[in-house]
Amino acid sequence: MARKRSFIPPIERVRDGFAFNIGEDERQLVSRLLTELSQLLMGESDDPRLVRIFPPAYHLADDADADAEYQRLMREELVASRLSGITTVTEALRAPGPVGEETMIAFVQAINGLRLVLGTMLDVSEDHDPDDIDADDPLVGEHHLYNFLSWLLDWAVRALGEPVS
Amino acid sequence: MPAPVEVGEIDIDDETVPDRPWIVLVWNDPINLMSYVTFVFQKVFGYSLEKATSLMLDVHEKGRAVVSSGAREKAEIDVFRLHEHGLWATMQQDD
Repeated sequence: MARKRSFIPPIERVRDGFAFNIGEDERQLVSRLLTELSQLLMGESDDPRLVRIFPPAYHLADDADADAEYQRLMREELVASRLSGITTVTEALRAPGPVGEETMIAFVQAINGLRLVLGTMLDVSEDHDPDDIDADDPLVGEHHLYNFLSWLLDWAVRALGEPVS
Repeated sequence: MPAPVEVGEIDIDDETVPDRPWIVLVWNDPINLMSYVTFVFQKVFGYSLEKATSLMLDVHEKGRAVVSSGAREKAEIDVFRLHEHGLWATMQQDD
């Protein structure tokens, strides 16, 4: 007899892939945020919210030309890769069944992309305390979203690390 | 008297010097989760959980870690793959 579980993780490895044990509201919320991220990625490339999405490749001042060349050649590829991952994830979130490993990897990349943008907007620092949210902060909603996405990502990574049973 | 023969200087493009590999660095940042960074090192480089965890801790505690090295083209691909996963990765030629 199966033991009754007192806690069901939001994402877990199951026999035929990975299951999202989240409600319809949460699926729609994540999809909506990812659609917004797509729009941001297709907009102005110097949008300050995207600074962590497009880090420099060459950090030394002597390599500035090499970095300009890298950005010229690779930025578009990076955008294309992110957009394709987001499409995979939003489609998967519309279907009820479990998803495969490739989709779950696209999911962690996409959720992390959202966290990078929100974390940049919130100016998250090393001593960031997720529980310390000022109710008067105009970005209080973004703080809660950031925490929600961190929680989801952590479970997704945990599920990916679980051995296949 | 014959004019001195001009010997052109050999143009050494140090990008092509083979004995100085490029290193790929990952920098500490306050947004990426430790569990996620460990996962990315395993996936991108095929490192064991132990090696990936130890590199992640180096990044976290020392501010940065060298995660791979090699020819410039390979380093650039590694950097790109790390950028696809949202890690703060850069490269430089090894001293």
